[in-house]
Amino acid sequence: MNQPARALSPVPSPANARSAMERIATELGRAVQGKPTQLQLVVTSLVAGGHVLLEDVPGVGKTTLAEALAKACGLSFARIQFTADLMPSDVLGAQVFHAQTATFQFRPGPLFRQLVLADELNRAPPRTQSALLEAMAQGQVSLDGATHALPVPFAVVATQNPVDFSGTYPLPDSQLDRFMVRMSLGHPTPEVEAGLLVTRDGTPPLDAVSTVSGPEELASVRAFAAALRLDASVADYVVRLATATRSHGDLDRGASTRAVLALGAAARANALWDARDFVTPGDVRAVLVPCWSHRVLLRSAVQGVSARDEAAHLLEEIARKVPAPR
Amino acid sequence: MRKGTRLRLVLRDLGSGFAFGSMAVSGQLPVWSLALYGLALVLALMNTRPFANRVKLTALLLLAVAVTLGTNVLAGSLNLVVAACAFAGLISAQRLLSTPDSATDGQVHLSGLLMVAGGAALSGELIYGLFLIVFGVMASIALALGVVEAAVPEGEPVPVRSVMGPLAKGVTFAVLGAVAFFVLFPRLNWNMIGPTASPGLGVATAGFSNSVRLGGSGTIKDNPRIVLRATLTPDPERDSLNAYWVGRTYDVFDGQEWSNARQTPGPFEFMTTLRPGRDNLIHQRMELMPAYGARTLVALETPSRLGNAFINTQRGSRRTHISEQGGGEVRFRDSGISYTYEAYSLPPGSTGDEVRDLPPEEQDALLSIPAGLDVRVAQTAARVLNGEREPLAAAQKLSAWLQREYKYTLELGGDVADPVADFLFQRKEGHCEHFATALTLMLRTQGMRARLATGFFGGERVTGGYVIRAGDAHAWTHVFVPGQGFVTVDATPPSHRASQSSRLLEQLVSLYEAVESQWRNAVLEYNFRDQMDAVRTVFPRKRHAAKNEEASSRTPPPRAWGAALLAAAAAYVLWRTLSRYLSRERPLEATRFADAVETMLASARVTRADGETLEALDARLGKERHPLAPALAPLTRRYLEARFGGRPMRQGEAQQLLSTLRNAVAKEAQRVASEGKRPPQARAS
Repeated sequence: MNQPARALSPVPSPANARSAMERIATELGRAVQGKPTQLQLVVTSLVAGGHVLLEDVPGVGKTTLAEALAKACGLSFARIQFTADLMPSDVLGAQVFHAQTATFQFRPGPLFRQLVLADELNRAPPRTQSALLEAMAQGQVSLDGATHALPVPFAVVATQNPVDFSGTYPLPDSQLDRFMVRMSLGHPTPEVEAGLLVTRDGTPPLDAVSTVSGPEELASVRAFAAALRLDASVADYVVRLATATRSHGDLDRGASTRAVLALGAAARANALWDARDFVTPGDVRAVLVPCWSHRVLLRSAVQGVSARDEAAHLLEEIARKVPAPR
Repeated sequence: MRKGTRLRLVLRDLGSGFAFGSMAVSGQLPVWSLALYGLALVLALMNTRPFANRVKLTALLLLAVAVTLGTNVLAGSLNLVVAACAFAGLISAQRLLSTPDSATDGQVHLSGLLMVAGGAALSGELIYGLFLIVFGVMASIALALGVVEAAVPEGEPVPVRSVMGPLAKGVTFAVLGAVAFFVLFPRLNWNMIGPTASPGLGVATAGFSNSVRLGGSGTIKDNPRIVLRATLTPDPERDSLNAYWVGRTYDVFDGQEWSNARQTPGPFEFMTTLRPGRDNLIHQRMELMPAYGARTLVALETPSRLGNAFINTQRGSRRTHISEQGGGEVRFRDSGISYTYEAYSLPPGSTGDEVRDLPPEEQDALLSIPAGLDVRVAQTAARVLNGEREPLAAAQKLSAWLQREYKYTLELGGDVADPVADFLFQRKEGHCEHFATALTLMLRTQGMRARLATGFFGGERVTGGYVIRAGDAHAWTHVFVPGQGFVTVDATPPSHRASQSSRLLEQLVSLYEAVESQWRNAVLEYNFRDQMDAVRTVFPRKRHAAKNEEASSRTPPPRAWGAALLAAAAAYVLWRTLSRYLSRERPLEATRFADAVETMLASARVTRADGETLEALDARLGKERHPLAPALAPLTRRYLEARFGGRPMRQGEAQQLLSTLRNAVAKEAQRVASEGKRPPQARAS
């Protein structure tokens, strides 16, 4: 069922925004089953204008998720498989010599898409990683003195394998900060897996996904989310949470200012799920762990899954201790 | 015993002592209660507590005392308030002598409060106020020390030294604040439930009665208490006055007692005219003090008009009527603690009375001589006068003779059959009544009309006027001079006319009475008008200053400085309190709403976890499919909107929302009850 991208109603309202977000999440659910919370988080991050870092073992549907997202939102899509020999120009594009006109012309790389799947980001050398991360931060690409704007909206879904670290280049901490949320899909429940076996009759899961939105609507929802009311007491709550991470004994480095801003943006987007035009402490609380667990540095420098769980655990503990505004 | 404990106990006992003192100063407590309490206090201060092991026995004793007191009250021999106060004192005494544990401490402080309340009922005087303040300070420090002690683990020393500093500071601030509050705000008279307000230094001393018994009284010459204050216009501006303040006159003497031929009281009026006045009258604004103790108006010799009288009672001031009695006495209709009125008097030396104004029986009385009067009185008078027939000259001659030949004394011989003869021929010494009576009778024996006048002599300069002491009470003679009326002649030696009390005592009493008067005016009877006056003294009006340059150049009176300082202190305290209050985070309306919702939920045994917000609670209940969740959801949403969404609740909206939840809670409770699974959990309200 292919639907044309709906134009957003002339008056953006929380209800309209929520309906757009729910439409997207529903379509995603057709491709990736049994993960409503994670899908919601992906949509939240997209609406908040952030990039998603998917940390998971292969074969749980990361690629499917990214492709479904692109299709549901009507975004141009590119998948870049990061490998050890991938060069920045393979991602960004290159100046190509035109024999006829005897000039160099810029040929955009796969990055110039609205949704980019950076598969196994940590397999590429740091130089290539940073080329991507710079694009993520600035929304533009600078090459040989010329600046090329990336399409709008622009979002990156990056994946990395948390188990098999051999031959990888772990993302520098400062660059992890560029991702709005870090999440994992995890294996589906046995019921869902069994259901997949029964219903899947060879058709690719993406065929079930329809385009239910478009870049214009997404831009409009993003703008609406960015302008949501955030009460001074909620802002104070976010800052108090950040302060608590900075002074926590088990954390080497607390949340940065960018992390504070990201949490605010994610909380704003989260408020739309409830069709609210203001942010509550509950919104902050809902996105706190996925938003910050990769931005704080544990004192005991453990890598991998246990570190991620440990950080999430610490953040939960901090959230319990810092009183929410009443 | 720990070191701090001893100090705390001493403070506690002393505080109780001052609370008892605040009742005792009224002078109305029975002597035995004073003695018992005093003994108990001394024992307690010596840390001897004999009742520690006999609580029940002593409680029985108290019960017996209570029964006795109750019987006395019922029999009418004891005032209920006095009895209650005495009993409160005994309870406190019993507690003082019991084991000093924390429960006893509380009871001692509580009985202290009771006694202070009793003191307020008995008297509201200056000394009471001082005792009250001292009690407050001591009890607060003792209480605070008790708290500190409780916080220090057993066996460790109590940090008395480091506690006392901040404690004293705090108590001082509290007392200052209370005093500022007390003085700044107008109030009603607060000791209105008491039986009487007694003068602070004992019972009233001076008095006027319908008769004067020679030798019956007169030992009041050394009493320094101030009985009246007078502001004179024009102001004589002298340090001491040689003025006669007449209260009443007597015309009939029966040999021992002076009385009046006519004693019919006149009608009660607001203003009484005794004799026609002229335009040079001396105006007096008079105040009869509590020590005065009579209802007779006093005015400068010779009064012309009296009136505009106010009576000050425990229930405040009110205008009252006055009436002329026999003997030229003017009396208040009602009795009160003190009185104020205005009087106009003829200036000294001017003529007033005409004999024809007096009814015939009074004219006759002015010449009457008691039947059994010693003949030597007439003989002596004739001898001294030696043919002098002019009444004034004769009176002056006799008076000079009396002053020369007789001695002044306050030692009285008691009742004698003929006090005049006794004075003139036996003892040859006496006090003002003897001198005045002798002169009056001697004049009468020579056919000259004369009468006895009683009142006060003197007047001591104080700020804004003159005061008269009880010791200034005096008696003198009015001799009738044809064409001139009654003229004052005083036979008493001049050095003994005014008060005989010691100078130091007078000064001390003056000081006390001045402070007491201030206390009365600035504390007990402080009202809105006084407040306005105080403001006016600090900020004089511009046009007054322009009219009176001299006044504006003068420094403000001390009272104004005091008021300004007080106002500044009060403003500072107010500012500090307000700023602290305003800077403190106050619960928002939405937050209060959330609190109310949570309270209501708690009544239905739905409690939020530690640190859980209403939002989270709502989400949890929704997930659990709790029966109250549907009712709670809209409330939570509205709360969030109001609190974080910038859409405050409308008037009454919170109540309306809460009522829906209340209904849901009640319905749920009913459902649970009808299912009978569990007993009803929620209050159905």
